[in-house]
Amino acid sequence: MKNVKNVNFWQIDHKIKNILSADGVIVLPIHEAWQKFEWVKSLFQDKPKEGYFVWVKKQVSFPLTTCVTIASKKIFQDLTNLLVIEKGLKIKANVTCNAAENNLCGTHKAKGKMILKQGACLEYFHFHQWGEKDFVSPDYEFILEKDSKLVYTYKNLLPPENLILKTTIYSKKNSSSNINFLVNAINSKIKIQDTLILEGENSQGIVKLRLVGKEKSDISAVSEIIAKNIVKGHLDCQGLLVDKNSKISLAPKLICENKNAQLTHEASIGRIAEEQLTYLRMRGLTQNEAIKLILTGFLEINSK
Amino acid sequence: MKQDKKMLLTLKNLYDKKKILNGIDFQIKSNEVQALLGPNASGKSTLAQIILGNPKYKIIKGGIFFEGKEITKFSPEKRARLGIALTWQSPPTIKGVKISQLLEKISKIKFESKKMDLKPQFLEREINLEFSGGEKKLSELLQIVSLNPKVVIFDEIDSGLDIKKLEKVVKIIKKELIAKGVSILLITHSGTILQFLKPKITNVMLNGEIICKDKDYKKVLRTIKKYGYEKCKKCQFLANRP
Repeated sequence: MKNVKNVNFWQIDHKIKNILSADGVIVLPIHEAWQKFEWVKSLFQDKPKEGYFVWVKKQVSFPLTTCVTIASKKIFQDLTNLLVIEKGLKIKANVTCNAAENNLCGTHKAKGKMILKQGACLEYFHFHQWGEKDFVSPDYEFILEKDSKLVYTYKNLLPPENLILKTTIYSKKNSSSNINFLVNAINSKIKIQDTLILEGENSQGIVKLRLVGKEKSDISAVSEIIAKNIVKGHLDCQGLLVDKNSKISLAPKLICENKNAQLTHEASIGRIAEEQLTYLRMRGLTQNEAIKLILTGFLEINSK
Repeated sequence: MKQDKKMLLTLKNLYDKKKILNGIDFQIKSNEVQALLGPNASGKSTLAQIILGNPKYKIIKGGIFFEGKEITKFSPEKRARLGIALTWQSPPTIKGVKISQLLEKISKIKFESKKMDLKPQFLEREINLEFSGGEKKLSELLQIVSLNPKVVIFDEIDSGLDIKKLEKVVKIIKKELIAKGVSILLITHSGTILQFLKPKITNVMLNGEIICKDKDYKKVLRTIKKYGYEKCKKCQFLANRP
């Protein structure tokens, strides 16, 4: 990994390679934080085994960076991560989880809580890159307190053999979220379950899914918004099937418990338009180059 | 089939499976500007797409030759790499892909967008997404110039452009293509662009056939204006009808 010195938390297999705190940013292994802070204990029933604790108490100008890597064969990571952003802070986070090699047959299990205190803003870029025999199962919760704002982008261009991705967002009064899941499935089985719970008055959120199914992939996604107050929510789910042996199942789900809430969705699954391919080929790109460029564009959504 | 090696692009007795083209014969030399006029649905755009090798259309008779070599079965990318280029009348949107990304992949020469009075932000826009008619034409022209082609087919480059934008487009075509010896085929419904680029030969296409060729584009335009396309066949002025 480049610029290791600037990484706030870096773990390889089960070993922590680097921890970097800064003025106003406390970074600890999660089990140490669990012992040190009573409020951390209240968040997790059992003592966490491994993972990071990042507590941002002051405004910082740099993006927080964490990286968890599998580098040895048959490693089983069981992570618990906690990120807390204090009131009114505007923070960016770049989070990478990956396998160093293609054929390590590793397991990466992660439970995470991301807490945005009142008025905090978090731009969180979550990047996954795995080997073709890995099993990966992240289960993240985002707690958005009053007036907070989250932009979350999960991007997985090199998927594992098996991915179960669970994400839940609890949105309090006046908070907002922009959630993006960009997954390029290559010979993988992928299950996505995301739930945005709009609890507080005037909370709002947009969830976008962009899923590409290639080479015998099987993607199943359930994307859900629950309105419990006067809120606005929108789901935008799009799938692209690139070969005939892949399958995508998309289920947008809207649950409205308030008559003044406004929930909408759009969903589609299609294939690459011949017209786009021909256009790019007439500019000199081969069919494969054209497909690659179109897919790059499909998985590159504006998350601002 | 024997070919005239002096010709850059030759279409010989071309028929397609969908019967849109009915025996097209056409030739263009290096450094030559020609026009192709015709009403809607006469087959002009199909002809352009067939020259570039759109797999949607199958040629069942005749052939396409470029620099004396038959290219009828070549893929679109192979034709593009030989130096044949087309600006689309209605180019598709490619979401998420910026013009600059595409240019990076296809450009054979470095062409500064400043020369087209295009702001750098324009290059960072997604291809044809929410473009105005004029912006689409400029994007097409920018890509084509970057390909450093030998022959360019402009499919209705003048449609939807106001006179100021048309003059801008003409200026670029003259400076960046014609002055460098690139051959041009102007496909146009209205004929507006012809007065600026003065084609050496003007072809008229009806029902998938080129029914006349004339050296005087003004005469052809006058005729069409007077009689309309449907009466083109009866036109007394068209001397060089095949």
